[in-house]
Amino acid sequence: MTLYSAPDQALLHAAVEQVWGSMLFEAADPWPANVPADFETGLQAHIEIRGGWNGLLLLTCNSDVATQIAGALLGLGPDETVDELDVHDAVGEVLNVVGGSVKGAIAGAMTLGLPGVRPSASPPSSEESLVVSWRGSPVHVQIIPDADRPEGL
Amino acid sequence: MKVIIADDSRVMRQIVLRTLRQAGFGHHDFVEATDGADALDKVATESPDLVLSDWNMPNKTGIELLRDLRGSGNAVPFGFVTSEGSEEMREAAQAAGALFLIAKPFTPEHFESALVGMLG
Repeated sequence: MTLYSAPDQALLHAAVEQVWGSMLFEAADPWPANVPADFETGLQAHIEIRGGWNGLLLLTCNSDVATQIAGALLGLGPDETVDELDVHDAVGEVLNVVGGSVKGAIAGAMTLGLPGVRPSASPPSSEESLVVSWRGSPVHVQIIPDADRPEGL
Repeated sequence: MKVIIADDSRVMRQIVLRTLRQAGFGHHDFVEATDGADALDKVATESPDLVLSDWNMPNKTGIELLRDLRGSGNAVPFGFVTSEGSEEMREAAQAAGALFLIAKPFTPEHFESALVGMLG
């Protein structure tokens, strides 16, 4: 297995594809470049990787997407409701599994933190993210080295 | 048989339960634990036949849980279900006394393969 010195978008996309396919049973199609990937309120999950590479992975999506992801993970029908705790839990767990896959591909002794989830007022710019599609909505996934770490995270 | 499922994610505990049922193990009794400390308490009170544990949890990690169990002489069969499936992690799990490590994302076949002969 090829080990990376730092994660890149190709590694990240492969990890997201694996999770989308095997946990969410959807394809992680790239978001079309000419389509705005904006939304207003949503959730952002973060998880820390430390060791051979130090930084964060972030996953940002709108609230409806977060709820749908939770419903898909829990195997709920379209009319079943998901409580907010489970929505936060689900988004964090999706990033936890992505993070584990990314961490396993980076050279050096590594640790993976616990995922955290917080409200997000707006998504990152598409230039700064891997943007994949979830049922017609954008999901932003980012690699943030320590040097570029936002305040508060 | 009685199985403890330890993971700080309630959603992941439900996914593990669902996958165990899909693998044909749904007839067993399952007890959920919310972290390593809760799992340690529940091993003492529930006397399980198997512990399935996440690795990374608050309060006590899965590897700390396993080391505490083995350190106290408790030989309960133990397996990890974790997002980190590197060779290094598998070696550490085995060295601490785990019988297997199932990496997330997993399938019913992963559980079937790990648990056949252990859970009827």
